[in-house]
This record gives sequence, C-alpha cells and structure tokens, in this order.
Amino acid sequence: MTRYAIVLDTRRCIGCHSCTVACRTHNNLPLDIIYNPVFTNGPTGVFPNIHTSYMPMICMHCANPPCVSCCPTGASIQQEDGIVWVDENKCIGCKACVMACPYGARTPSPHTGIVVKCDFCADRLAEGKEPFCVQTCHQRARIFGDLDDPKSEVHKLVNTEPVITLLPELGTEPHAFYILD
Amino acid sequence: MINKHYWGWPVAGYLFLGGLGGGMAVVSTAADLFWGKGDIFALGNFIASVIIGIGSGLLVFELGKPFRFWRVFSTQKAVMTVGAWLLGLLIITSTVYFSFWLSFLPWSNWILIRQLLAGFNLLLGVGVITYTGVLLGSMKARPFWSSPALPILFAVSGLSTGLAAQSLLAGLWPYQATQTSFEQIYGFLHKLDTGLIVFELLIVMIYVLMMRAYAGKEAEMITAKLLTGAYALPFWGGLIVLGLLIPLALYFIGGSAATLLAPWCVLIGGVFLRFLIVYSDPRKMLPGETMYKERLPKGNEAFLESWK
Ligand code: SF4
Ligand code: SF4
Repeated sequence: MTRYAIVLDTRRCIGCHSCTVACRTHNNLPLDIIYNPVFTNGPTGVFPNIHTSYMPMICMHCANPPCVSCCPTGASIQQEDGIVWVDENKCIGCKACVMACPYGARTPSPHTGIVVKCDFCADRLAEGKEPFCVQTCHQRARIFGDLDDPKSEVHKLVNTEPVITLLPELGTEPHAFYILD
Repeated sequence: MINKHYWGWPVAGYLFLGGLGGGMAVVSTAADLFWGKGDIFALGNFIASVIIGIGSGLLVFELGKPFRFWRVFSTQKAVMTVGAWLLGLLIITSTVYFSFWLSFLPWSNWILIRQLLAGFNLLLGVGVITYTGVLLGSMKARPFWSSPALPILFAVSGLSTGLAAQSLLAGLWPYQATQTSFEQIYGFLHKLDTGLIVFELLIVMIYVLMMRAYAGKEAEMITAKLLTGAYALPFWGGLIVLGLLIPLALYFIGGSAATLLAPWCVLIGGVFLRFLIVYSDPRKMLPGETMYKERLPKGNEAFLESWK
C-alpha cells in the first residue's frame, strides 16, 4: 500500500518562500490564496541567545481528517493513498471543512465559491513526479514519499529522526512530519 | 486576514432561527401530548415551519455555491447532512401537523394520527435544537466551540426562545374557544421559561469560566474579549442583562409586562447568544502564523482583483 507523507526539515529551511511561489505557479492560484506558506517562528530566547526558525506549511493530509468527516456532500475525499482533496463538482461551499481544519489548510475561493486546498499535486504524482513545492525546494527541506515503502527517504526520516506533528492532541494524525532544530 | 470569520451573520441568524423553530415545534407538540392543550399552540407549528424555512434560506445564502444546496441531502454521516434532513423534514411535517388543527379539513378529527405526528415532530424538534450545537461543538479546531456543553447551551436557549415565541402566539387563530383562562396558561409558561432562563444563565457563566480557566490560551483570549473586551457590550448588555436578567425580572413582576415584553427580550437574547458564539471562532494559531498573516498586504483588494 502506498501512504503518501511529507517531511518538513526546519533545520534546512532558510525561509525563502520558493515553495509558496512554486505552488502558486503550478496551481495557478490567485494572489489571495496560499496553500503552503512559510511561517517565521521567533526570534525566541533571550538576547544574545536568540533563535529564529522557519515552518514550511502544507495540508497535513491527516489520517483522521476532520475536514472529511464533517463534509455534508462527500466532496471532501480521503484517498486510499492518504491524499485529501476536494471534488470541485460536488463542493457546495458550506465551509464546514474550513472551520473543521485545525491547520488553516483550506480556503474558500472568493472567485469560484468552492473550497480549494493542496492535493500533493496529484496530477504530477500521476506522471511519476514529486509535488512541485518539493521539487522546487533547493535546500531539500521538503521531502516527499511513500511512508509505507521502507526504502523511501520519508520512511527513513520518520523512523530515525525525532519528528513531531502539529497539534497532535487533536487526534487528526497529521502525515506532515516536522524535524525541529 | 487573521481569524477571518468564514461563517458570518447568516450562520448566526440560521442557528438562532433553527433553534427557535425547533423549540417551538417541541413546545407545541409536547403541549398536545402531555398537557392536552395542543390546540392553543396550533399556529406556532406553522410559524415554526416558516421560521425554519427562513433560517435554512440564510444557510443556503451563505453557501459559496447556493444553487447546489440540494447536495447536502446525501448519504454522508456528517452532522450537517443529518441536520439538513431534520430541517427539511420538520419544515414539511410541522405544517402538516398544523393542518390537523384546521376544523374545515376532513382530517382534523383523526386524533390518533395527529398524536403520532406530534410525537414524530417532537423528536425532530429535539434533533434540530441539539444538532446546531453539535455542529459547532464537534469542531476541535475551534477551542471556544469544542465542548459538549455547547449543544446543551444551544438546546436550552432553543427551548427557551421557542417557549417565548409560543407564549406570544398562544390562543391565536385557529384556536376558537373563548372561555379559557389564559392567566393560568401564561403563569405556567412563565414559570417554565423562568426555569430555563436560570438554567441558561448558569450554563453561560460556567461555560465562559471553564473556557477561561481550562481550554488553553485562545479560549482564554476569547473569554477576555467577551468579559471585558470588544464583545463585552453585546455579552453583558445584550445577552446577560437584556436577554436573561430583564426577562427574569419581568416574569417575577408578572402582569402584562411578563406576557408581552419578556418573551421579546428572551428572543433578542437568543440572537445575541448565537452571534457571540459564532464570532468566537478563532483557531489555535500555529508557530509563527500570526506574524505571517499580519504581514500579508491589506487594503489592496482592487490590486488583487486586477490580477485575476
Ligand atoms: S490539514 Fe486540514 S485540510 Fe489537510 S487533511 Fe488535515 S484537516 Fe484536512
Ligand atoms: S465546503 Fe465543500 S468540501 Fe468543504 S465541507 Fe462544504 S461541501 Fe464539503
């Protein structure tokens, strides 16, 4: 079985926002919609021991996604391979999923009325390519792959590095794993 | 951009009207089944249909794709799907039940069927007033909503507003008898509503204090907003004083103030409650998210549009 996941290595991220730009280009997003921002965390600590890190964001493609279970129409879908996406022909724009997602990964498009989000570039995956933000990251801070494949880099990282997930207490079981520094 | 209210006034308005209509259906069917006074509250069933209809209209208006609204009648197990079916059914059955009280209709003396329908509507009404709270209460992403106490609060408020509306409509057409002593009926309704208001007051205070103490930083900030911040006037003035304490005092004084004025205060309080809750929706911010959103350009909607 394939289970797609992404590792976000904040030790490598330099906060250049290339991934945000790449996503916008590939998905042809309007200026007011961002799927994968890069947050600046900090500076934290007390001078002179201060520290800043960058948090590349993305839809966590949760294993237990509240955005899917709350969707009244079945437009929010979780695939066998873990990808969570919105069927634009079924979505009525009720925004229940936007309220339910704890990670701000969904945006109601003011242009079309439906909800849009990251789908791990499913179109590129079908062609055997990586998501565009992953390919673009010149620091290899975004690492994508099949978590169930023991030979994949995400499998190795998740099993050898001290990875964390965001807001684990909510029980969403995110499949975006962060390596903090 | 930070904490944009994706659900706005139409949802708040709907939550109020849905609770009100559901509460009215519960009151009039319960009065039929357990009090033998369904006739006095007959008109309320039809008004409940209209009110739920308007509320559902608001909900459709809020959709990004209003003309696709029929898709909510699916076979999903989502709270919203269940709610849509409950609302849709109650709009129809409440009007049908009302028709049993119209003496010129041939089925107005089919008492057993009417009572079966009353039982069915009672269940639907309970479903409607509870589900609105479950819809918000099940959203773990929103700290101030995520609590099993929210459905209880909404249900009590729905019942209380339903009772208030029914006491305003009691005895109107198609009710015909003239001998009834309405003093007694009002007295009973007012006592019931007094109990509900006291209960609601308790839940509101416990809810806010628990959110302040135990539900994390975001919830604590929202309670500060409610108690002393930007929402303090609608919270204290609108909900607590106008919506709960004044009707309580009016019911205590009794007389025509209690009969005519108090129910309106209760209704207004119900509106305030729904708006305050719906607008208390912030998510827990992720590390660095607040700063990022603050830095996004503001006030350049025209520029954004020109890029389409
Ligand atoms: S991050 Fe949000 S949108 Fe993505 S799967 Fe999880 S709950 Fe759904
Ligand atoms: S906005 Fe669309 S995808 Fe989201 S819950 Fe509603 S119908 Fe489903």
